[in-house]
Amino acid sequence: MNLKIASREADGVTVISCQGRIVAGDEAAALREEIKRLLGSTKKIVLNLSGVNYIDSSGLGTLVGAYSSARSAGADIKLCGLGQRLRDVLQITKLVTVFEVYDNEALAIAAYQRGTA
Amino acid sequence: MSFAAMRNASLVVVNAAMSLSNITQQGPDSGPEIFPRLVFVQGNEQRTINLDHSPFSVGRKVDKDLVIADPRVSRDHALIVSENGEFHVVDEGSKHGTFVNGERVQRKLLERNDRLEFGVRDVSYVVFNPHHATSNSAREFLSHISGIHISAATTDLEKLTLFLEAARKLNTTGVLDEILVTLVEATLKLTRAERAYVFLRNEEGHLRLAAGRNSKGEPLLDDKTISHSILDEALKSNSEFVVTDTSESLDLAGRKSIVAFDLRTVICIPLRKPQVQSAAGAAAPASTEAMGALYVDSRFASHDMSGVSNDILRVIATEAASLVENARLVQAEEAARRYQQELAIAASIQQRLMAVTIPEVPFAQLRGRNLSCKEIGGDFFDAVNTKEGLAVVLADVSGKGVSAALLASTLQGMIYSQLTGGMALTEIVAGINQFFTHKHIGEKYATLILARVRRDGELEYVNCGHVPPLLVCSQEVIRPAHGNLPVGLLADAAYQSDRCQLRPGDRLVLVTDGVTEAENARGDFFDNERLEAVAAKSESMEDIFTAVAKFCGGTPLSDDCTVVELSYTG
Repeated sequence: MNLKIASREADGVTVISCQGRIVAGDEAAALREEIKRLLGSTKKIVLNLSGVNYIDSSGLGTLVGAYSSARSAGADIKLCGLGQRLRDVLQITKLVTVFEVYDNEALAIAAYQRGTA
Repeated sequence: MSFAAMRNASLVVVNAAMSLSNITQQGPDSGPEIFPRLVFVQGNEQRTINLDHSPFSVGRKVDKDLVIADPRVSRDHALIVSENGEFHVVDEGSKHGTFVNGERVQRKLLERNDRLEFGVRDVSYVVFNPHHATSNSAREFLSHISGIHISAATTDLEKLTLFLEAARKLNTTGVLDEILVTLVEATLKLTRAERAYVFLRNEEGHLRLAAGRNSKGEPLLDDKTISHSILDEALKSNSEFVVTDTSESLDLAGRKSIVAFDLRTVICIPLRKPQVQSAAGAAAPASTEAMGALYVDSRFASHDMSGVSNDILRVIATEAASLVENARLVQAEEAARRYQQELAIAASIQQRLMAVTIPEVPFAQLRGRNLSCKEIGGDFFDAVNTKEGLAVVLADVSGKGVSAALLASTLQGMIYSQLTGGMALTEIVAGINQFFTHKHIGEKYATLILARVRRDGELEYVNCGHVPPLLVCSQEVIRPAHGNLPVGLLADAAYQSDRCQLRPGDRLVLVTDGVTEAENARGDFFDNERLEAVAAKSESMEDIFTAVAKFCGGTPLSDDCTVVELSYTG
C-alpha cells in the first residue's frame, strides 16, 4: 500500500496526515476506515494532504464520502496542504464550495478555534 | 523403496498400461456406463460434460447447463432430453437452428459420435458420447485398465498406485463424484473390504457422505450403519490411518454401531491436503484439518481384512488426498472459467449498449470518439435527437473496471430515457444525483456534461464537475466558468445550466480528463493550453487525438480519452 496515515491531537483537533497516494483500492479503504474510527471520538478533523502526491477519481470520492459521514455524525473535516493539482480538481468539480480548504495546518486548526470561540 | 522412487516406478507402469488399454480395448461398453458424455469443442479447447440430468439445456443464457457465448446461439437454444434410456436433442425455436451431423433438426434421437451444432456452424460444436479413448472419463478408463491382466508378480500396492496415478492423470473431467467413486472402488478391491465410503467436509465444516459402494458395486447412500465414533476419532488423530479390529480390543465391543451391525474391522483414512515434505524427508506434521475421510469396513461374517498391508493404507492416505484435492482444483478452475465467460458476456452487452448511433440533423454535425486504455473505463458519450433539439452527453464515471461500467450503463439509460421524454436538463441531472446518492453506491460518482442545441442555435448545457467545454467561435476559444458538483456525491447538490447563442460555424468541444491529463515521459500533462491551441487551429477533432499522441510520445494512456465535437451549421 502506498499511503501512510498518522493521526494526532492538536488543540482539541484531530489532525490526520497522509503521505503517498490516495487511489482506488487499499489506500482509499485505509483512509476511509481511519476516518470512520476517529469519528467515534472526535468532532473536529483536519486532513493534512501536504504529503499526498496523487489522488485519483476514486480517492476524491473517498474524501467526499468521509466528509459526508463526518457531517452526518455532527463532525467536520477541513482540508489543508493541497497540491496544485488537487486544487484544480476541486475547482473543476466545484467541490471547493463544499470543503473548507486552508493553506496550512495551523490555519485549519485556528479556524476550529474561531468557530468555538 | 523410498516413496519418491515408488512413485516413479508406478508412473512407468501407468504409461505401459495406457498403451496396452488402447490395444486391448474390446469395445466401448466394456465398463459400466453411468451417463453419456458430451464433448464440447470450442476453438482449440475442449471439455467433457456429463449428461447427468434431463432436460439438459443449451443456450446463450448464463443459467444454461451448456452456455455458448456467441450471438448466433439463441438464449434458449435447445434441450437434450432423456426418455427410456435414449437421448433426443430438441430445438427450442432457435433463430439459427440446431444441427445433427450437418442436418437441421427439430427433434432427433442421438447416437454415439453424433456431431451437434447450435446456431454456430464453425468454431464450436458438441460430440455426443464419443467412443474414442482420449475423451474417456477417468472412471471409464479405469474400468478398462482394471480388466487388463497385469502380471501375477504385480503386487496390490503397485496396482493401487497404478489406479490412482491413472485417475489423477485423467482427472480433467471436473467431475469430483466420479473420481470419488473410482477411489472407493479401487479401495474396495485392494482392501477386500465389504463397504467403502468417502466423506468430505462441506462449507460449514460438517462431514457429508460423498460416495459409497459395497463390494458388489452397489451404491450406498446411507451412512447410518457405519461406526461414526471411529470416524470421528480417526479425524481427530494425527495418524495417516486408523485400523480397528474389534475382535482384538474388548473396550470397542461395547460400542453401539459395532455391536448392532456386527462390524469386525474398520479402517479409517483421514484425507489431508498434501503437505510439502521437509528437507530432512520427514513428513510435515499433519496439523491441518482433514478435508474428509475414507472409511472401509467389513463384518464378522465376512472375511478378515486385518491383513491389509500398512503400505497400501499409507499410499491410499496420501494419494487419495491429492486426488480429491486435484479434483477440487479442477472444479474451482471450471467455476472460474464460467465466471470469466459470464464477464465476457457482460462486457459484450456493455459494448453494445455503449455503441452510439449519431443522429443526422440538418442544423448540426456531431462527431465523437473514444480511445480506451487497457481496462474497461467509465467514459461514455451518447446522442439523441429530441423535439427540443439535438442532445449530447459526455460522462466519466469514477474508477475503472466492472463497477464503473455498470454505473455507466445505468447512467446512460437514465439520461437517454429522460432526454427522449423531453425533460429539462437540470431536472435530468438532479434526478440522477438523487438516484445515485439515494442508492448509496459507495463513493462512486460521475462527472458529465449534458448539452442540447436547438435548431435556432440556442445552446443549453449543464456541466457537472466535468472538464469545462471548449466553445470555439471563429478561432477564439472560450472556456465558460459555469459548473456544478458531480452527480452521485452529495444528496443536496443543486444544478444550474448555462446558455449561449451559437452562430453557424461555431463548435462545442467536449473532452474527458483523460485528454487534459494525458502524460508524457516527463510526467507533464497535455493540459488545457495545448488543448485550446489545437482546438482553435483545427476543424477536426482527429487533430486533437494526433496532438495528444504526439505529446505523449511512447507513454501509454493511463485513462480513457474521449472527445465529442458538435458543430452548428445553421
